Amino acid sequence: MAASLSSSGSARLMTALARSSMLHNSFESRSLHVTAVCCKNRAARIRIGKGDRPLTYEQAHHPHQIAHRKGWLSQHTSNLKGVEGAAERTVEDVFIRRFMFGTFHGCLANEVVIKRRGNMLVVCALMLQKLPPQKFYFLIGYSESLLSHFYKCPVKLDIQTLQDKAVYKYL
Amino acid sequence: MASLIRNVFLSLGRTNVCGLGIKETTNRVTYATALFANSTSGNKGLPDRGGRGSVGRRPRREPGEPRTEKMPLDQDWTSVYPSATSFKSNAVPLPVRMGYPVKRGVPPEKKGNLELVKIPNFLHLTPAAIKKHCEALKPFCTEWPSALDTDAKCDEHFPIKVESTDYVCAGPSVRNPSARIVHLKVKLSRFNLNDHARKKMLKLVGERYCKDSDILSITTDSCPLRQQNYEYAKYLLTVLYHESWKIEAWEAEKTAADMEEYSWEDSLSQKNMLDTLLRMKVAGEGEDADVRKQLLERKEVQDYKDSVVRLKNEGASESSMLQYKEAVRKVLNV
Repeated sequence: MAASLSSSGSARLMTALARSSMLHNSFESRSLHVTAVCCKNRAARIRIGKGDRPLTYEQAHHPHQIAHRKGWLSQHTSNLKGVEGAAERTVEDVFIRRFMFGTFHGCLANEVVIKRRGNMLVVCALMLQKLPPQKFYFLIGYSESLLSHFYKCPVKLDIQTLQDKAVYKYL
Repeated sequence: MASLIRNVFLSLGRTNVCGLGIKETTNRVTYATALFANSTSGNKGLPDRGGRGSVGRRPRREPGEPRTEKMPLDQDWTSVYPSATSFKSNAVPLPVRMGYPVKRGVPPEKKGNLELVKIPNFLHLTPAAIKKHCEALKPFCTEWPSALDTDAKCDEHFPIKVESTDYVCAGPSVRNPSARIVHLKVKLSRFNLNDHARKKMLKLVGERYCKDSDILSITTDSCPLRQQNYEYAKYLLTVLYHESWKIEAWEAEKTAADMEEYSWEDSLSQKNMLDTLLRMKVAGEGEDADVRKQLLERKEVQDYKDSVVRLKNEGASESSMLQYKEAVRKVLNV
């Protein structure tokens, strides 16, 4: 008596479990959807468009042309053998580029070039003549003093101004 | 008052004449000129919030011609580029082009060319500039002493050579921990050491002595500063010299295994040689000790001694083996 009861009870339990698992599957089933991988390199590349977009020499050449047709935007000795500090110089470079982009907003004609001579930081930039010269001088002095205090080394800004951007080609 | 009305009329006239397309701008112009007129007349200062309204406020300065146009041919270039600066296209009168040309085109010109800015230039180091630098440095220089004209004389008067390296790197810090290393080189022949002192010195020094060039080189890097390392190296040299002259009591226990060179006297080889010769009965009978001494003074035995010493000290080479062979033949009369 007890045995039969228990067996029927267990059978009922099993069916109940099966039903609930089926329910579980249909309502909360999750699966992974995968698309085919597009093995295309998109780094620092401006794709061909209508032909009305002006590009500078820097933008027109892809990153694999560095050391072939392009130079380096930032130069320091930390990547030589036995010299330390490469990571710190890179972080400094990133900050300086963002700082220049923000301080001289809309005036930058091309990328910022950073050179290090001894412990001196030289930031070279080509600017458009969007601001009056007095404002330029103020911003240059402000950037120099702020960056010198920040990095504890002399910082010099070499600014040249242009009428408009130097267009290399249209894409 | 009349001028005010005239201004207003002028502005109105402008709106009438111009087309619809630029109505906005002209409207702004009229607004601006009207305001301007107002502010000149009275003090109704509606402050002109700059920006768009400043078109008529201050005329934009035209950029002047580049400096290259005004450069005379015989100018002083050292004042144009007195120190290292990036390439400025308006200040360099050369028609330079740099970059990869577009299809069926030429390399881009220097105006606005970032490639020319990226590379280091030496425009501040023309021969004229270097001459000026030399002239400026001359008062601080002294002549090389004329008595030290050959290397040998320099070595004679200054036998100790100290070497250390300075490191420069592009970064905010001047410090480099490798700059503290000091090398001190000196020739051992300059010291007056007797036999015992020299052997003791060589034992103390170990690998720091190079036999071929007779140079003892001490390298110190255990102190954090270069001056400390230099003084430590000098101290080491002094201590080595004085210690090598001292004779300790335990040095008398020096065994044959401690010896640096092989000496034939009182060695197994000598004993064996003498025993062999005696057994061969080469010499006449007599006192044992006298016979041994006689044998030792023989030329063949001396040759054998030289060859064995050479073999043991220099190692086995073609010529030393030949010499040993010859010596053995002569001694054994083979």
